[in-house]
Amino acid sequence: MIKTDVRLDDMTRGEIVRYLENTVEPEEGIIPAYIMSDPAVYDLEHEKVFLKTWLFLGHESEIPNNGDFVTRDLAGYSVIVSRNQDGVIRAFYNMCTHRGMKLCRADKGNKARFTCPYHGFTFKNSGELIGVPMQKDIYGGKLDFEAMGLHQVTIETYKGLIFGTFNDTPQDFSEFLGDFKWYLDIAVGRTDMEVVGPPQKFIINSQWKIGADNFVSDSYHTMVTHGSIAKLGMVPNATYSKKGYQVHTENGHGCNIGMPNPDFAFPEELIPEYKAHLSPQQFDMMADLKNMIGTIFPNLSFLVSHTEVKGKLISNTTVRLWRPIAVDKMEVITWFLVEKNASEDWKHRSRESYILTFSPSGIFEQDDTEVFTDITGAASGHVPFAKNYTYNYTMGKHRVPVKDFLGPGIVYDDKFTEANSRSYYRYWLDLMKA
Amino acid sequence: MSMERLLAKHIFEEWLYHEAKCLDEIEFDRWFNLMHPDLRYEMPVRVNKEGMERPDYATDMFAFQDDINTLKMRVERLKTEYAWAEMPPSRTRRFVSNVRVAEFEDHQRAVVNSYLLIYRSRSTDIEHDLISGERRDEFKYLDGDWKLSKRFFLVDQTTLNTRNLAIFV
Ligand SMILES: [Fe+2]
Repeated sequence: MIKTDVRLDDMTRGEIVRYLENTVEPEEGIIPAYIMSDPAVYDLEHEKVFLKTWLFLGHESEIPNNGDFVTRDLAGYSVIVSRNQDGVIRAFYNMCTHRGMKLCRADKGNKARFTCPYHGFTFKNSGELIGVPMQKDIYGGKLDFEAMGLHQVTIETYKGLIFGTFNDTPQDFSEFLGDFKWYLDIAVGRTDMEVVGPPQKFIINSQWKIGADNFVSDSYHTMVTHGSIAKLGMVPNATYSKKGYQVHTENGHGCNIGMPNPDFAFPEELIPEYKAHLSPQQFDMMADLKNMIGTIFPNLSFLVSHTEVKGKLISNTTVRLWRPIAVDKMEVITWFLVEKNASEDWKHRSRESYILTFSPSGIFEQDDTEVFTDITGAASGHVPFAKNYTYNYTMGKHRVPVKDFLGPGIVYDDKFTEANSRSYYRYWLDLMKA
Repeated sequence: MSMERLLAKHIFEEWLYHEAKCLDEIEFDRWFNLMHPDLRYEMPVRVNKEGMERPDYATDMFAFQDDINTLKMRVERLKTEYAWAEMPPSRTRRFVSNVRVAEFEDHQRAVVNSYLLIYRSRSTDIEHDLISGERRDEFKYLDGDWKLSKRFFLVDQTTLNTRNLAIFV
């Protein structure tokens, strides 16, 4: 029977949490459609997930020089991420502390100081207020400069990735990444990596979790959604995405590791660098890697992909943010990363393969966006909630993890399982309850 | 404007209208035949710069950066039964205007700038996407026809408000 009288927007926060607890059953592989579409869940998520956990801001290589800055979104709020004159990276809420004007409106640049376009208050890129027009006259020299520095935002970095949070008492960053660092090292820290160009940004009418979930566990969809890629001969056959491992660690992080690979997917002349940056076990995995696709909870995904373009094998590495804008809309932001010391030819071909496969025009990317949009559409409205329509995430529940894997975490051999999604939604539910 | 220039403007207006028709009518093979083997097909990422700092697009990152071979792959892919992104195809309408012939050597080469507005409607959506920008095109004359040898499409958004670029610009 349809429960038209039960509505999440009539409930208190506590009642919503209890409703989630009763209906979201990650271990059973039961995920209700309404968590992808309900505005009350979306609002609670903002508070319980996005204001609590660590979120991706950018890469250190985007601001290599003192004075370099980027403006980025953190949980829906603009922040300035700046490398100060002392070389230290700091982040600030992008708002003048005088009367609240957005201080910086460029995506990127180099500035030792920021001047507010409203009244000309000037701040050093380390946050201190250093100039106020006519202040001696109009404030009688009594303005408390020290109290009016920019609002600082907590950041941490790992292997060049910059994360931030508005949480005053966040989980220890190193603990947050935990054992997943072992895999991140291979994906983004295998040697000195740099971001090339600005990130690409586009809007999809999709709930943000669908993207994060797709990258954390869904190797299965590759066969069908990306069936055209095998047809073009870019990958060997339609089931190529099955071979390998699916791994998750604590805090909802997880990835899919395509192996083995008869070819070395990375620039061979950099092997000494890789060996210097990685443990022997990590290097062994990397040497056999075909692809690596994963998500750092909640909304940063990464991808190492090895395909054939114009008769030559090439890999590309990207990270992407599924940034929620509304319950049914997200901005996808993708960054292209490449080995700093790779040859110009490698860098060029790697970027070309990214643009061809996973940029907004990418021939992998575009088929996903179609699916994400239509899942969101079908999840929306009262009926999926009232009828309690659920998704089936039971794939691989019968399987047992492998022992003696090269890396840490819960590991399944064969990528066709939804174990990582079950772990992802478990952590999501834990945060929503907290 | 000289007679030659007037004629050139007419030739390339007609060329661009024909191209728009091929794309809007999902005639990808016919469209692909308009391309020169030397083709460079580029759409840089547009960025918000500080003040009047220019150029306000990336010179090192692109939404499209194709040559004739990768463009061929895209066209071939759209013809497989798995190209979900455009299945069924978007309804598109390409409006080409403000055509200016910047350089012209008859039966040799030409540089032509124009504005483009693409209306895109997908599936049962009641909302449409609009993609606006400027094309800076170069043409070479090959075996009796003008072929596109370079397209530089400067899009007017820093965040693209369309789900993907499964369509051509
Ligand atoms: Fe996909």
